[in-house]
Amino acid sequence: MDSDIILVIVVAAALVFDFTNGFHDTANAVATSISTRALAPRTAVTLAAILNFVGAFISLEVAATVAGGIVDAHLINTTVVFAGLIGAISWNVVTWYYGLPSSSSHALIGGVVGAAFAAAGANAVIGDGLVETVIVPAVVAPVVAFAAAGVAILVTYRMVGRLRPGPVNRSYRLGQIVSASLLSLSHGTNDAQKTMGIIVLALIAHGNLAPGDPPPTWVVVSAASAIALGTYSGGWRIIRTMGSRIFKMDPAQGFSAQTGGAAVLLTAAHLGFPLSTTHSITGAVLGAGAAKRLSAVRWGLAGNIVAAWILTLPAAAIVGALTYGLSHTFGDSALGPLLIVIALLALLGVIFSQRLRRGPALTTSPADT
Amino acid sequence: MTAAIDTDALLDLIWVAPLAVLTVTVSWALVVSGVTRAIEARRGGRVAVAGAYAVLAVVGGALFAAAVVFGLLIMISKG
Repeated sequence: MDSDIILVIVVAAALVFDFTNGFHDTANAVATSISTRALAPRTAVTLAAILNFVGAFISLEVAATVAGGIVDAHLINTTVVFAGLIGAISWNVVTWYYGLPSSSSHALIGGVVGAAFAAAGANAVIGDGLVETVIVPAVVAPVVAFAAAGVAILVTYRMVGRLRPGPVNRSYRLGQIVSASLLSLSHGTNDAQKTMGIIVLALIAHGNLAPGDPPPTWVVVSAASAIALGTYSGGWRIIRTMGSRIFKMDPAQGFSAQTGGAAVLLTAAHLGFPLSTTHSITGAVLGAGAAKRLSAVRWGLAGNIVAAWILTLPAAAIVGALTYGLSHTFGDSALGPLLIVIALLALLGVIFSQRLRRGPALTTSPADT
Repeated sequence: MTAAIDTDALLDLIWVAPLAVLTVTVSWALVVSGVTRAIEARRGGRVAVAGAYAVLAVVGGALFAAAVVFGLLIMISKG
């Protein structure tokens, strides 16, 4: 009975994580399009949500392990996964609160690393895997995207800078719709699979599935729906940061940032070197702004974003470890995870109600304010 | 601690990614430039010049479409 309840809690937590992932990462695909008025805010998030949903069905290669190669696979059980999810959800909510784009994948890895550390000590964490999968890509993604988008905008200005701005801006807005669509589809193919992997893992641990079995249809549909709903809800605070607070961009810069980020991501996927969508797009946005004029970029805000990236892994790990410790005090009983879920829901309720009381600008689209 | 970083993939990424970005950027700039100049040339009565710019826009459009299709193929091949 207890294991059934824990399974339900893990599946629910995975879907909530998926929702926050969509909610948090909407900005990557649509922020620049909204900022340059290539798309109306609600149209942009609707398009992104639909393509996220479709993307989840394109690639069904679910992650066989959570934090594979980073944490000793023998230690991954439902309690560790649950604690990791709570760590990741918490960090996603905190960074949304402050309007900072950060990697949901790194948050999930951090949460699982923390939980595994609490379960079995330092030996549970594979340092090489952590460097290879998290730290090196976290440095490479923004740097390559920054340089690529910077070169792209300089070439663009060189080629179209002397043309009449009206038609040029309209054309680049059109191009942005294509690049935003590509990014949204790519996000769906990548991120919904993580949630499917977590649910499949929980089902295998519970004995509902055999290792190697494909994900059941309800898992695919629920993961696709959760990420699409999250995307549709729109993390407007992060959209504002990415689209207009870093610098005020023109359509050509928006296009360069989006295509720069997308091309870096897809090239990396093709080479078998997966990178964070958030890190790539943010790096590209900064590059497109800095290449035109260094002072156009609000470097203080960029510094805050980088600080959030650095803190992602340890912060999610601390919450993951604490969650595991608390769950573990109740043994194999479902009471621990249940109490944690209730506490987290109460905390989320307080945060959202406080934000809503301060005004609608924080939770509604720029068009509605 | 020696991390097993795939140095070859990393080095490939450093030159292939900017090249891919440049290809997409240049192809779309050709479309924008070709279409805008073709319209201006046609308004000025220079039909041959307008045709040449239209061809440039079509070439750019084909390149851009190829890049988008390649991106889609990368996504699909992951599954």
